[in-house]
Amino acid sequence: MAILTGGETPIALTGGRQLRGSLTRTRIRWVIAGLVAIFAVVGGRLVQLGMVTTDNTIEGRTREAISASRPAILDRNGLEMAVDIRVPSLYAEPRRIIDVDDAVEKLRTVLPDLDPKWLRDKLSGEKGFVWIKRDLTPEIEDRIYQLGIPGLDFLTESKRFYPGGPEASHVLGSVNVDNQGIGGIEQYIDKQDLDVLQSVGIANGQNLKPVQLTIDMRVQHAMREQLLDALDRYHAKADAAVMLDIKTGEVVALVSLPDFDPNDPSSMIAPYKGEPAMRFNRITAGKYELGSTFKTITIAGALDSGLVKMTDRFDARFGVRFGRFTITDFHGQNRILTVPEVYKYSSNVGAIHIMQQWGKDNYRAFMTKVGFDAPLPIELPEKTNSYIPKSFSDVTAATASFGHGISITPLHMAAAMAAFVNNGIYEPPTLYKRTPEEVAADGKRLISERTSLEIRQLMRLNALEGSGTVMERAAQGYRVGGKTGTAEKVEHGVYSRSKDFNVFASAFPLDNPQYAMVVIVDEPHRESVTTGDTAGWNAGQVTGRIVAAVAPMLGIAPKFDKSVDDQLVPMAIR
Amino acid sequence: MIRKLNIILMLTSSIAFVAVYGLKYSVENVARQKQTLERQIQKQKGQLSLLEADWSYLNQPGNIQPIIDRHLDQLNLQPIKQAQFGSLDDIPMRPIAPDTQGMTDLFKSLEAGVDPADKPMGGQ
Repeated sequence: MAILTGGETPIALTGGRQLRGSLTRTRIRWVIAGLVAIFAVVGGRLVQLGMVTTDNTIEGRTREAISASRPAILDRNGLEMAVDIRVPSLYAEPRRIIDVDDAVEKLRTVLPDLDPKWLRDKLSGEKGFVWIKRDLTPEIEDRIYQLGIPGLDFLTESKRFYPGGPEASHVLGSVNVDNQGIGGIEQYIDKQDLDVLQSVGIANGQNLKPVQLTIDMRVQHAMREQLLDALDRYHAKADAAVMLDIKTGEVVALVSLPDFDPNDPSSMIAPYKGEPAMRFNRITAGKYELGSTFKTITIAGALDSGLVKMTDRFDARFGVRFGRFTITDFHGQNRILTVPEVYKYSSNVGAIHIMQQWGKDNYRAFMTKVGFDAPLPIELPEKTNSYIPKSFSDVTAATASFGHGISITPLHMAAAMAAFVNNGIYEPPTLYKRTPEEVAADGKRLISERTSLEIRQLMRLNALEGSGTVMERAAQGYRVGGKTGTAEKVEHGVYSRSKDFNVFASAFPLDNPQYAMVVIVDEPHRESVTTGDTAGWNAGQVTGRIVAAVAPMLGIAPKFDKSVDDQLVPMAIR
Repeated sequence: MIRKLNIILMLTSSIAFVAVYGLKYSVENVARQKQTLERQIQKQKGQLSLLEADWSYLNQPGNIQPIIDRHLDQLNLQPIKQAQFGSLDDIPMRPIAPDTQGMTDLFKSLEAGVDPADKPMGGQ
């Protein structure tokens, strides 16, 4: 601000200049403050936008999880047992749709079965995601894509498909609509680490290694065919079988009937002939009194202890009395029997005497050693605990020596049989392939090689002369040996005379054992008037048929040379 | 001097403007191509998975068995029976001397117009 004085030159007063300068500074300050405020607003908005998490989940699951796939499941020869199919599914983002009526009209040209009112409701509104139609064909997907409606898009969903249908249902289990395992090996895979992979969205097709199981689908199919035939033939309620590779413990086939179709998970719980809860896995999740097959266990343990010898004789002339109970023989010989004869004639009295000579506590300890106490380490989640009393009284030990009053799963029995013929080495049953190193590390000696040889002799003897002769007729030449078991079923707390539970525990070929098998038949009836209804006639016969069907697939040729059996079963024990 | 610099700057900026404009469009184009390709890959993967599922279904023993049963008349494929297995020992060793009589008989029968190979095996 200039102040004019009398002179020519204006005199600028320092005060005015200062005043002007301070005014400018104030203005600059205001401008700076304004700018800072604007930037603060912009920055704040940026932070706010950064904080916003858009909801990308679809009905609570991430898109990655929906399109995530499961690994293929292969059998031991590489044949697919379960695969993923990728199917497009149509979804809409209603907030991005401009003209709802137009979209509805266009969509209905391709999907005429959609209800227009329902569709309009779905497409209007501010929702971020709605399914329109799932599981479309690629052709339909293409046609909808050509319509070019904004706000509609596709998501590739993975669907599980089991090409074998019900063939291996109890091994595989199934998956629910969300592609999560709900039983069998599918559930096991989830428990491992698949769910982690899926949740972070890296489980998609390429990076998943297929899971290879030890099941042989050819054997599995042949076994199932025979068991289906047996259900019909013996008018049985249910039947099941399991086959183990004795050298590795690998499960080659596992069938339990009635079964279900894994492609339709609801069939899992569907009633069978009006009865509910019939379609469970009887091999791993059913525990039964396996009857006389236990005599193999009793005799193997007794022989191995050294307290009983093959040549020892046991008095089977009279029943064994416990208080007011007397245990007698079904096929009574009523004479003095050697160990092979006790086995061959399936003498309950003989088995009790063998067990008594060996000692009931030794017998109980042997059960633990054979692994009957604990659930098996098999991968399937459907497992049950055995029922064996902690310690044996005289009576329970006596009945247990021929398989009554104690319950185990058929797989327990199969694993024990496998060990007995595998030179006494026990391999825990598994559905995953084992390397020779793992086999060597997991193997556990149950009985000596010598006892193993004796048991093989007994098993073959039983096929030639004992309760396994019906089986032998069906599987001639394959050197099968085994033990029958016929247990009366407990009904309303008492043993039923009319309802049996039949078992056949076997191994083949006994000159060079490779496979062990347990077959169970629940409530069988006579096939015809000329046949019997004991285990040899049903469970035994099915065993023979299964072996005859699968042995050629497994590379086992029949031998009709008499010298094979002469060597296998020495004259001394016949 | 400054004017020259200004002209140069004006030119560069207008060139840059045009270039960015072009680039934007070409990127959009490439993005569209990428999307198309991805869709195509996705679709082919889907089709491949269907074909694979089909293939494994057709290979299942449970699928093959009914086909064989259905065509039993034509194919006559049956499970192998124990009696059908042979061993090397079942094959006779070559005779030490040639079977001259047998050869003569064969030639004679051929001359007569009867080929033993036409006859069904096993003396039926």
